[in-house]
Amino acid sequence: MSGKVKIMERRGKDLYERVYLIEVFKGMATTFGHFLRNFLDNSKLLVRHYPEQKPEITARWRGRHRLTKHEDGSMKCVACFMCQTNCPAKCIMIEAGERTDGRTEKMPVRFDIDLLECIYCGYCVEACPMDAIRMDTGIFSVTGNERESFVMKLEDLLATPGAFSEEEYKKGGA
Amino acid sequence: MADKVKLFVNGQEVEVESGKNLIDAIGAVGIEIPHLCYHPALGADGNCRMCLVGIEDGRPPIVPACKTKAAEGMKVLLDADHIKKIQHDVMELELINHPIDCPICDQAGECKLQDYYMKYDGQKSRMTVKPVMKAKKLDFGAGVVHDQERCILCARCVRFTRQITKTGELGIVNRTDYARVNIFPGRPLANRYALNVVDLCPVGAMTSSDFRFKQRAWFLTKSPSICQGCSKGCNIFIDHNREKYKDDVIYRYRPRLNEKVNGYFICDEGRMTYKAENDNRLTTGIVSGKETGLSEAVEATRRLISEAKKTVFLVSPNNTLEQMYAIKAFAAEAGAALSGFSDGYIQEGDADGYLIQDDKSANRASFELLGIEGSKDGFDKAVADADLVISFNNDLSKSLAEADLNALLEKAQLVYIGTSLGTCASKAAVALPIASYSEDCGSLINIDQVLQQFAVAVVKNEPAANLIEVVQQLGGSVAGVKEARAGLMESVAALKDVNLEEVPEEGIALTDNEVSNVAA
Repeated sequence: MSGKVKIMERRGKDLYERVYLIEVFKGMATTFGHFLRNFLDNSKLLVRHYPEQKPEITARWRGRHRLTKHEDGSMKCVACFMCQTNCPAKCIMIEAGERTDGRTEKMPVRFDIDLLECIYCGYCVEACPMDAIRMDTGIFSVTGNERESFVMKLEDLLATPGAFSEEEYKKGGA
Repeated sequence: MADKVKLFVNGQEVEVESGKNLIDAIGAVGIEIPHLCYHPALGADGNCRMCLVGIEDGRPPIVPACKTKAAEGMKVLLDADHIKKIQHDVMELELINHPIDCPICDQAGECKLQDYYMKYDGQKSRMTVKPVMKAKKLDFGAGVVHDQERCILCARCVRFTRQITKTGELGIVNRTDYARVNIFPGRPLANRYALNVVDLCPVGAMTSSDFRFKQRAWFLTKSPSICQGCSKGCNIFIDHNREKYKDDVIYRYRPRLNEKVNGYFICDEGRMTYKAENDNRLTTGIVSGKETGLSEAVEATRRLISEAKKTVFLVSPNNTLEQMYAIKAFAAEAGAALSGFSDGYIQEGDADGYLIQDDKSANRASFELLGIEGSKDGFDKAVADADLVISFNNDLSKSLAEADLNALLEKAQLVYIGTSLGTCASKAAVALPIASYSEDCGSLINIDQVLQQFAVAVVKNEPAANLIEVVQQLGGSVAGVKEARAGLMESVAALKDVNLEEVPEEGIALTDNEVSNVAA
C-alpha cells in the first residue's frame, strides 16, 4: 500500500478563523442558500424522497430470498441442503421429508431463513443446483416488530413472486 | 506377521504383505487402487473393472487388482496413460445411465461414484440418447430402500446375502440395460443383518428407510464407539450432529471394522439401539414424584442411605468396568450388599452363532472379573431384609415380574440412577439422571473376553453427570475414570498385565484362564 501521501495543512490557526463567528455565518449562509433554493423550487433536489420514491433496483440486486416454482406450481426445491451447507452465516435451516407432489422423492418440510442473521451474500443462490432459491424479489427493506417475524418460513418464501422477468434475470448474470 | 514382499508401484519400491491381493496389499501402505465391486469381506468378483492395473513386462499386461496376488518384484503401473484411460472409461460407462440425482440421494458425500468421478473422470456426459429409466424407491423390506437407477450392478449386496447371511434374498435379473438387482416376488429381505447392504453399497442404490432424508452425510460427526445392544460389543461409528438451536442428536450407527470382534458388519437390532440414546431419556432428578435438580436428588439419596438399615446396590451388566469398580468400592465403604441380578437382560435362544448374542447387556463378563454376584438367589437373599435398593442403571422391571417388583418395593425403597424413563424411574423414590454410554467413556469386556474401550461421542447441550461422578457425590471414594482404572489394574489379577490407559483400538483379548482363575 504505497500511495501518494499529501499532508494537509491544519486550518483554524489565524485570527480571522479564531474569531469563529465569521466562519459560522459563512456556513449558515450555505445552509440557508440551499434551504431557500429548495423551498422555492424542489424539482432539482439532490436527494431522493425515500419512502415515497423508491430506488430503482437492478435484476442483479440481492434482495430478500424466495423459493421458485415449476410451471405447474410445485416447488423446485428438493432439499439437497446445498444452500445450508454453503451459507457462511448459517442462517438457513432445512428439514427434509418425503415428496408428496409426484415429482422425484424429496422436498423440504421446513425451510427457514433467519433474515436477521443473513448477510445477503447470495452464496445460497449460487450453490443451488435446481435454481430453486433466488434473491430477485426486489425487496431490500424488511421490517418487523419482533424477532420471530424475521424468520422467513417455507410458505413466505414460496409466496413471494420475483420482481423481474426471466430474460432480465438471466441478463443479470444468473 | 505375514511375509513381506517387495514390489514396485509406479516405479517406486514398496514393501507389502504377501498373500493379499493388490488392492489390500498396496492399500495398506496408503496407495489407493480404485475399486467398486471388491470388498474385503465379500471377496473379489471382478465385475466392475475399475481396479484394472498394468503389470510391466507381465503376461497379461493388464490385470484386475482384486484378483491378483501381490508377488515379489511385480511392477505395478497405476498412473500410466493407458491405465488412466481405462479408469476414465469405466467411470464413463458407469455413469451412462446414472440419474445424477445427488441432490436427493442420501449417499451423496460418501459415494464412491462421486469420489471417483472427481478423481478419475471429471468430464461432461457425451450421451445424446435418452438414459434408460428404471424403478426407484423399491421397498426391499427390513428397512432397505432400493433405487435401481443408481445401481451400478457391483453385486456387493447380492454376494452379502449369499455369502454372509446365507439367505440369498437378492439377485441380479436380466442382462445389459435390463439388468436389475431385485428380490424374488413376495420375498423381501428377511434377515437380521439386512441393513448392512446399505453400508456395503458403494453408491446410493441401497438406502435405509430409517435414515432416509434425515441428514446429509457431510453434516454428521463420526465418532468411534461400541454397540451395547448385546454382549458381542460390535465396533460402531456413532453418527451424530448438533443442528442449530437443537441438541446433539444421534442419527445412525454404522459398523466399524474390528477383525477380532465383529468384522465389517453389525446386526440390525444393534443398529437401531441409537433411538434409546435420543428418546425417552431421564433428564432431571425426581424426588417422590416431583422433578428436581441433580443436587437435591443426590441429597435425598444420601439421606435415604444414612437412614436405611440395610442397603442393596444393584449393578447393571451394562455398566462399564470402571463404573462397576467405583460402585463396588462404594458398597464396601457404605456397608451395602452388592448384586448384579439382571436375568431380564438375557433372551434365551436369541443368539445366531454369528454376531447376535443371548445376553443383551454389554459387560456381564466384568461381573466375573470383579466378583459381582448376579444370580437370582443371591439377589433374593440380599433384599430379604433390605429397606433400600439402589439401582445403578439396572432396569429391574426387565428381570422381575410386575407383582414381584411391587412386592419388593413395598418393603424397600428404590433409588434409580439411570438413563431412561420407564417403570423403574416412575416407581423409584428418587431417580437420578446419568450420562448414557454415547455420552460417557469406559471399558467393556465382551462375551469372548475381549476388553475394549470407548470414548465420549455425544456432548449434549446440558450434559448429564456420569455415573462415577454421581457415585462420588453420594459418598464414594473413586474420583473418576482415571482413578478407577488405576485401582482396577492394582486390585484385579486379570488386569495386572493390561494397561487400561492405553487399550489398542481392536481391544485386548483376556485369556479365558486368567478370568476363570479370578472368578474361582
